[in-house]
Amino acid sequence: MDSAAGNADDPPAAVLAFLQDFGLQEDKGLIDWEWLGDNFTEDVVPALLQHIFLCAIALAIALVIAVPVGILCARYRWLYGPTTAITGFLYTIPSFAMFTFLLALGFSVGVMPAIIALILYSLLILIRNVVTGLDSVPAETIDAARGMGLTDRQILLGVELPLALPVIVAGMRIAVVTVIGVAVIGAYIGGGGLGELVFDGIDRDFPTLYITGAVLATLLAIAADLLFVRTERLLSPWSRRVRRAG
Amino acid sequence: MIEFKNVSKTYAGSNVTVVNDLTFEIPDGDICVLVGPSGCGKTTSMRMVNRLIEPTKGEILIDGQKNTSMSGTQLRRKIGYAIQQTGLFPHRTIADNIGTVPGLLGWDKDRIKSRADELLDLVGLPPNQYRDRYPAELSGGQQQRVGVARALAADPPIMLMDEPFGAVDPITRDRLQNEFLRIQEDIKKTIVFVTHDIDEAIKMGDKIAILKEGGILAQYDTPENILVNPASDFVQSFVGGDRVLKRLSLTRVGDVDLEPANGSGENLPRINEGWTLRDALSEIIGAGADRGVVVTDGESNGGSRGTITLDSIRKISHGAETPRG
Ligand SMILES: Nc1ncnc2c1ncn2[C@@H]1O[C@H](COP(=O)(O)OP(=O)(O)OP(=O)(O)O)[C@@H](O)[C@H]1O
Ligand SMILES: [Mg+2]
Repeated sequence: MDSAAGNADDPPAAVLAFLQDFGLQEDKGLIDWEWLGDNFTEDVVPALLQHIFLCAIALAIALVIAVPVGILCARYRWLYGPTTAITGFLYTIPSFAMFTFLLALGFSVGVMPAIIALILYSLLILIRNVVTGLDSVPAETIDAARGMGLTDRQILLGVELPLALPVIVAGMRIAVVTVIGVAVIGAYIGGGGLGELVFDGIDRDFPTLYITGAVLATLLAIAADLLFVRTERLLSPWSRRVRRAG
Repeated sequence: MIEFKNVSKTYAGSNVTVVNDLTFEIPDGDICVLVGPSGCGKTTSMRMVNRLIEPTKGEILIDGQKNTSMSGTQLRRKIGYAIQQTGLFPHRTIADNIGTVPGLLGWDKDRIKSRADELLDLVGLPPNQYRDRYPAELSGGQQQRVGVARALAADPPIMLMDEPFGAVDPITRDRLQNEFLRIQEDIKKTIVFVTHDIDEAIKMGDKIAILKEGGILAQYDTPENILVNPASDFVQSFVGGDRVLKRLSLTRVGDVDLEPANGSGENLPRINEGWTLRDALSEIIGAGADRGVVVTDGESNGGSRGTITLDSIRKISHGAETPRG
């Protein structure tokens, strides 16, 4: 019993020592809390906000593209194959390569190519979920809508899209997590955001900086994921109640 | 009145005629049942009325006007539409579902709301309990009731119903049929009713159009006449070997001339005047008797209106008497 209790105290000290070695910060430990406190509002918060901004803009634009394209693909089925092939190809390009290609295509370093890359990465997931969502609308629901005299437009906006919405939001959930991750790397070509803290920290061999960037990016991804789960439920009260009932 | 005039349909990309030169009229206030084996073109014929499908040849007149004289959506808002799978909007409450067409027609909110409540009452679903539910929170039979209520919402003169009571168990179906017939007595809609079930056709129809393979009209007549004089071997076999019994199920005990009750009739079976002759026959034979005491609806003891004999039922089944007086 005694030895077990003694052991329980040991690991934290050992871990700390290891981390100190690893961080090469002889006396200050892995994280320099003092520096973090002094520079939080000046460096960290703006980086976080810029990261959110970058991802939000990219996702919004991607959605504006994906919804109409998805609707077209659902209507004209032959479009779906080529669309999936193209967006699927974009999705497989490694992020560093993607940024390099964009620069090679003549984009100057900065926010622009970063946002474009993020949009390109989101398209596959978003378009696929728009199509899946529309496909999931029961044929008889659409038939009844048409039979009651709804116009095509009213059917799309009032029946098909609302019913597809939970699936579309589920796609956004996956896309947002992807985009938050990729955006970190976007700092490499001047996209800014949390990636800047990471790259800066690595350059300056200053763990406080890159760990802060990495941790915040992770937390941001988790927060965004939770937010979209909530939204998904909020947008489909009918299915939520059914789940509760069943 | 709905008139089919030489209506034919061949689907694009196929050379099979699925509805072939259909000509018949449906008088105002009648239920016309389209019945026939699977794939004979019942649904196709029905859907040409509100132009969900356009005929290849011929035309359909509604009150003397071609149904192409207005846009398809305008036309459909004036024609009630109910289908087997109900097609209720899963994301809208029952009240909102019922309010769909009134909403399209621009009724104000209060009027739509009170109309939805009125219809829920009509189809036997207490509004307080059901108006705010979602379709998935209802049983299959309740959903079909709502489907019918939704079709009735804007009080259209014409209704199209494609196996509206198809997806429920026989007992519920029977109840829904009876309720609908009761409602129809008041609302007197002109109804095109599709079913593949000849018993449902006989029960629901004022007129029956029997279609055969290839969408050919095999016979168009009242249920009685189809049962007494089937026009062809096809009709005869489609109607089935129990034509006589089916005919008995068209007549209610209360509608035939009864014999005066003699004696107490204590050992005789009780026959409710609301029953069909078929039910009465079954009850009398089951009790080992040759007659039954007819009692007033809702009472099992006393209130005797007379007796009905096997003999009188036999006579009616041979068409010696014209019932339905
Ligand atoms: N959209 C379509 N394209 C091509 N053929 C069709 C289409 N819809 C129906 N058909 C064909 O037309 C014929 C009649 O179909 P319809 O749905 O009218 O039959 P039905 O009498 O309603 O049958 P059921 O009792 O099975 O519902 C069938 O042979 C069917 O295969
Ligand atoms: Mg059918």
